[in-house]
Amino acid sequence: MQKLHDALERVGKVVLGKDEQIRLAVACMLARGHLLIEDLPGMGKTTLAHALSRIFSLDYQRVQFTSDMLPADILGVSVFDPESRRFELRKGPVFTQLLLADEINRATPKTQSALLEAMEEGQVTQDGESRPLPEPFFVVATQNPLDQGGTFPLPESQLDRFLMRISLGYPAPEAEMALLRAGDLRERALDMTPALTVAELMALMAEVEQVHASDDLLDYLQRLLEHSRGCGWFAAGLSPRAGLGVLRAARAWALLDKRKYVIPEDIQAVLKPVCEHRLQSAAGGAAGGSASRLLEAVPVVL
Amino acid sequence: MRVYQVPQHTFLLLVGGALLAAAPHLLMGPTWLRILLPVLLLARILIQRGRLAMPGRVIRVVLLLGVVLGTLYTHGTVLGPEAGTCLLVAAFGLKTLEMFRLRDAYVLLVLGYFVLATTFLFFQGPLAALYVFAAMVLLTAALVGINRPETGARSRTHLRLASVMVLQALPLMVLLFVLVPRIAPLWALEFQKEGARTGMSDSMAPGEVSRLTESTALAFRVEFDGPVPSPAERYWRGLTYSLFDGRRWSQATPGGLPRPELVVYPGQPSAPWHEQLLAQRAAAEQVGSELVYRYRVVQEASRRPWLYTLAVPFVREPTRGIGQVRDFRLVSEDDITQRYAYTVESYPLLTAAVGLPDWERDFNLALPEQGNPRSRRLAQRWLDEANGDVESYALRVLTHFRQEAFYYTLEPPLLGSNTVDEFLFDTRRGFCEHYASAFAFMMRAAGVPARIVAGYQGGELNPVGNHLRVHQYHAHAWTEIWIEGRGWVEFDPTGAVAPERIEQGMDRFLGREMGALENLFSGAAFSRNPLLARMRNSLDYLQFSWQKWVLGYDQTSQLAFLQRWLKDVSPLRIGLALLIGVVVMLLPVALWVLLRQRGPQRSPLQREYRALRRQLLRSGIPVSGSQPPRALSAAVAQACPPATDAIRAWVSQYEQAVYAEQADAQAVQRLRRLRRTLRWRLRRSAVTA
Repeated sequence: MQKLHDALERVGKVVLGKDEQIRLAVACMLARGHLLIEDLPGMGKTTLAHALSRIFSLDYQRVQFTSDMLPADILGVSVFDPESRRFELRKGPVFTQLLLADEINRATPKTQSALLEAMEEGQVTQDGESRPLPEPFFVVATQNPLDQGGTFPLPESQLDRFLMRISLGYPAPEAEMALLRAGDLRERALDMTPALTVAELMALMAEVEQVHASDDLLDYLQRLLEHSRGCGWFAAGLSPRAGLGVLRAARAWALLDKRKYVIPEDIQAVLKPVCEHRLQSAAGGAAGGSASRLLEAVPVVL
Repeated sequence: MRVYQVPQHTFLLLVGGALLAAAPHLLMGPTWLRILLPVLLLARILIQRGRLAMPGRVIRVVLLLGVVLGTLYTHGTVLGPEAGTCLLVAAFGLKTLEMFRLRDAYVLLVLGYFVLATTFLFFQGPLAALYVFAAMVLLTAALVGINRPETGARSRTHLRLASVMVLQALPLMVLLFVLVPRIAPLWALEFQKEGARTGMSDSMAPGEVSRLTESTALAFRVEFDGPVPSPAERYWRGLTYSLFDGRRWSQATPGGLPRPELVVYPGQPSAPWHEQLLAQRAAAEQVGSELVYRYRVVQEASRRPWLYTLAVPFVREPTRGIGQVRDFRLVSEDDITQRYAYTVESYPLLTAAVGLPDWERDFNLALPEQGNPRSRRLAQRWLDEANGDVESYALRVLTHFRQEAFYYTLEPPLLGSNTVDEFLFDTRRGFCEHYASAFAFMMRAAGVPARIVAGYQGGELNPVGNHLRVHQYHAHAWTEIWIEGRGWVEFDPTGAVAPERIEQGMDRFLGREMGALENLFSGAAFSRNPLLARMRNSLDYLQFSWQKWVLGYDQTSQLAFLQRWLKDVSPLRIGLALLIGVVVMLLPVALWVLLRQRGPQRSPLQREYRALRRQLLRSGIPVSGSQPPRALSAAVAQACPPATDAIRAWVSQYEQAVYAEQADAQAVQRLRRLRRTLRWRLRRSAVTA
């Protein structure tokens, strides 16, 4: 537990002034979720991903998505080996513990969906053969919200695979000063020493599932979900999967707060990153600020 | 095409509802319908089980043609209420085999409601209403079921919901029943005249009244305003026979007389006799000593125009279509084709009121030229013996009946051509019509104007409702003779022969003499077992009340009712009354629903949380319901620092109890104590501020 806070602190030294987002990213990993970071270039997305992989001593692969990319570029190809006279799989970058999918919305839908099975099932199927991915397996994807030329926006089904979507935003003035003084932090991120072993991370992930959620809390969550369906603000309300996602994230958030039970604050903290990318306003387009509207409309205790 | 499958949990409701809706028609309908419908439903069950395929178009068309032909064969037409319902019920049955989509199921159910409604064309009793109600619950449950196609649903929950819905509709139904104007033409359907008319006919030959006594059918019920007259006073006059052809007495009037001379309808030209009668009645009313019977008759459909009343009757409020007849009767302008109620006042002492003009005297003296010579001779002799005194002569004839070996029997021997002679001197066995006929003949032969009155005598008293039931077997015939100064005086020769028939009533007579009417529902059979008799009387009372209040609420009484309450009966007023009624009915429901929504089930801990929030609001700390406990804590700490410890302690207790679920029995008490501390801190800081 202490090591976890150590880790948070150390990542905070690399990604400056973004404690909240770091905490969310770690909670997302503890909840076995994939993370989508949406931000402009140069905001520290890649640095965060690097730091996360190093601090948990995870294998790390980075794929820069482009429009001419094929599924095989991620998953790998079968190559004929003349010596053994057999096809052998050259494993693609997906066979790793943390995959940074940079600018995922630049790839064609076909390539995007190749990632889909990997994210959902934790395995890759090629030539009718399923191969398991290493444990744990995280995808941290980034996308640029402004530059939409020649991109393929992720469809809802694919957005749904990401437990959270966060954005980093410009740093605060002091943080930016510190950043400028420190020079390139990316190097430092690569040099970071791990704070937790993979086994310790896995143990924590198991612990997340033990965090208690009382009936009163589930009732609050359920009313939030129900309100999202009945209020008419959105094209479609939150799915049950979204509800389960909120609960998992809230458990992880509670664990980060060293609690063995979930309180409404946990739900409120994770609702925005977990739900906003799954909601579209009834008028069409993204539903900005929807999470806070939901939270305002639904009483914590009946 | 995918065929619509009725959900399994609803199928039984659907078939049961269909069967229940159609069952009353099977009771009445032709045999082919009785066979067809169960077969169709059975086929439907097999289809549902997958043993049979839905019939193809050809089979369906053939079936439909068969049904139309069958209806034509049975009724000769496809129009009219009987043929129409027959066709409807058959088509309803066929529709069960044409269920390819959800829409078809809806059509079937709506048809079911319609079929159910047609039950009232044939049955209108309280039991029928109950039955229709039950069937409606079943159909509604089926309707609920097909709207809940999920497999987990259960028919019991459908039934419960449907019962609640139908019960909820009940007050609305009553309101509509009372207020919505009756549309007469829709229900005044012309039914085929099936079977013989029961009851009196407009003529009487020996042996015809005794045939009526085989029927236990109800003729009418009477409810008295005041004490019920004794059995010997209950002579229900229906019609009089003045014309005698030697065998048959019939109702006839001398030709050439203007109608008002015989019968006067309200709003139509009157006649001197009627004026006279009304004047006498008014006089009697003023004196007030006159004996009056006030009563209300609810008469069963007889398909005849005659109404049954005591003594000299007057309709209490002049009613269109009820005429007053010169021979002290009331008569309806049209045949009584459905239950009919009328209120009457009877004056037993006004029998001389209309006088006896020459034409009437002649008419009531006329006898055939020939026939019955022995009786004529006997009449002359007795009249001489009585020195021409009419009353003592009449008593002499009655004494003859009493003293000689005359028998009162339901099975009299057949008579030849000289009916009166044969009866008086040879057979001496007869029923009331024999005695009445012989007596009237004897009177006329002696020059005393006489006529035969036919109607009912007695009636069975129902102690539960204190009303009389008069059955067909109460049918009776007696005579009236004209005595100068007293008017038309009633003489019942049957009373001389079988006084117990008059005094104890036909029920006892039949029960003792015959044990004949084996019909379970006759009063005779029931009077032996007090419990059964009581049950029967209660049921009868229920039926009678139903007739009075539900069936009796026809166009006329509705108009009277609405006039009393709305003053001016206009569509606008009726609409307003309906609206107000509906609002008054739905307002409590709406309030109840609102209140229920406001107050969900709360645990003590949740109530404690709300109490805290209210307290903070009272102390002027703005907190909203969407704020979690820790946000409350922060708000309090900011607004009132001295209370910080108290609110933190409260919040942590609350979290422990509600979210960590490590609450013990004292958790609520602890929270309450903490809240009191908090309140104290908040107040103190408010005071110092």
